[in-house]
Amino acid sequence: MKKWVSFVAALCLLIVAALYSMSTGSIKIGFGELIRGLWMGDNPQVDVIRDLRLPRIFVAMLCGAALAVSGVLLQSVMRNPLADAGIIGISAGAGFASVMMTAVFPALFYFMPLFSVMGGLLACFLVYLFSWKSGLQPLRLLLVGVAINAVFTGFNQVFGALGGSASSIRQTASSSFNMQTWGNVDILLIYAGLALIVSVFLATWCNMLALQDRTASNLGLNVMRARIIISVTAVLLASVATAIGGLIVFVGLLVPHISRQFVGSDHKILIPFSAAGGALLILLADTLGRTIIAPIEIPASVIMMIIGGPFLIFMLLKGDRVYGH
Amino acid sequence: MDIKKLQFHYKHSGPIIRDLSTSITAGKVTSIIGPNGSGKSTLLSLLAKNMLPSAGQIVWNGRDLQQFTPKELARQLAVVHQQNEAPIDLTVEKLVEFGRLPYRHLFSSESKEDHEAIAWALDCTGLAPLRKNKLVELSGGQRQRAWIAMALAQKTNLIFLDEPTTYLDIYYQIELLELVRSLNEKLGLTIVMVLHDVNQAIRYSDEVKVMKQGQIMAEGDPKEVITSELMQHVYDVRAVIREDEEAGLYIVPLASL
Repeated sequence: MKKWVSFVAALCLLIVAALYSMSTGSIKIGFGELIRGLWMGDNPQVDVIRDLRLPRIFVAMLCGAALAVSGVLLQSVMRNPLADAGIIGISAGAGFASVMMTAVFPALFYFMPLFSVMGGLLACFLVYLFSWKSGLQPLRLLLVGVAINAVFTGFNQVFGALGGSASSIRQTASSSFNMQTWGNVDILLIYAGLALIVSVFLATWCNMLALQDRTASNLGLNVMRARIIISVTAVLLASVATAIGGLIVFVGLLVPHISRQFVGSDHKILIPFSAAGGALLILLADTLGRTIIAPIEIPASVIMMIIGGPFLIFMLLKGDRVYGH
Repeated sequence: MDIKKLQFHYKHSGPIIRDLSTSITAGKVTSIIGPNGSGKSTLLSLLAKNMLPSAGQIVWNGRDLQQFTPKELARQLAVVHQQNEAPIDLTVEKLVEFGRLPYRHLFSSESKEDHEAIAWALDCTGLAPLRKNKLVELSGGQRQRAWIAMALAQKTNLIFLDEPTTYLDIYYQIELLELVRSLNEKLGLTIVMVLHDVNQAIRYSDEVKVMKQGQIMAEGDPKEVITSELMQHVYDVRAVIREDEEAGLYIVPLASL
């Protein structure tokens, strides 16, 4: 019960943050004016906010939610507290596929999310293929993931250097939350929104996998099928977020760990809470990034690296509550 | 449960179970004993469908074990493993709830039957007062009982235990084996366990199966099966068998050969 209260609190915080983010930036505007303008459509300043700032806010929130939940799912299915799409190469694979396809077939720009999902799936498949040795060993999986990540990041930069203007936009993944349109919001809502809903229903399977494969199997779970479905959902979330929002590391690592401190390890609450937490974190990072030394923007991904690194060390030092031990 | 010409080997390695045929008697406590590497835990894993046999057949209730869906099997057979992992904040009650999952669907909520089964499983294992405690707060013996409670909540006729006493103090070992015995006597459950301690196997089981190198060397009533010749042949130790009025039959290993 208390846990659902924290979830509602996180949601409220998210709404407040979204309203604040709408009203601040290069155009500053009061709440009353903002809401009236959105309602009536008679304020040119508010029209600019609606066309430029609002989609950016939605993209930041949806990407954050998608990346955080993808982290929860990967950590559960790989039984590894350090699994994160950005670390084990899934985001890099997704980024590589979308860069390559836009460089080779610029006309297919609108199918980019599909390509990036394929790239993510390829990276995930490779991680499983090379780290599976009659089961998943945590360290082996992580090392394989880091290697896969390095390879795809390398390819990514090669194509970025070769490609034309279409790819150079994507190459610097850091400039990602600029230039977001309502079209991007639609893409995220369809792909990531669907995958987020699916992931809520995967909670029981994730809980069972936490008891080890053999016990999950003795409780009637088809472990292989569950593992594939959870992995594909996680890859879908991470890939679409990468395709639209660019490469952001640490969200999938940070948010699930903080969320476990608040609501525990039951995935029924952990998944929705992490979604809210991830949305909040990226929204704050992006808002901070575009206001702190305006008009220069610090990309959300850079902010995430700067606060994520120290936070990870802090978590490790605190250590006792790391999942599974 | 009938086991016919069962074989198992890992890829690129020698056989672990060789041409093994036997059967498990319903309503009895059966213990599988044998030296390390004799294949006793592997046999239990095969019977629980945690691993698939390389050849041979396991028949349960007139059906090949491989034909059961995971859920069907989980309603007939529960397994308590030797070492278990769980999230650190999991409570006893939540763990036992997992035992009801074979009866649930994606959208179904907890039924009255589920509640009763959970309460019953907690009572059987004496854990009702500790139901809100986290697993990590329990002693080793209590924790092992919590996993047994989860297995009981599955409401199966058949329960497998893989070395249930290995990491426990002697007090908890005896307590646990008495619990197993009483589950068999009061509820008529068929129990198959892998044990390390020959004396515990003699004392707490109706039947023993003695394994060596992937085969069963002897099986049946422990009082008839366990002899000093067998101990010498299977374990390479010289042992004497004694009978005491209070302790019953017991063995004392004297020297390795």
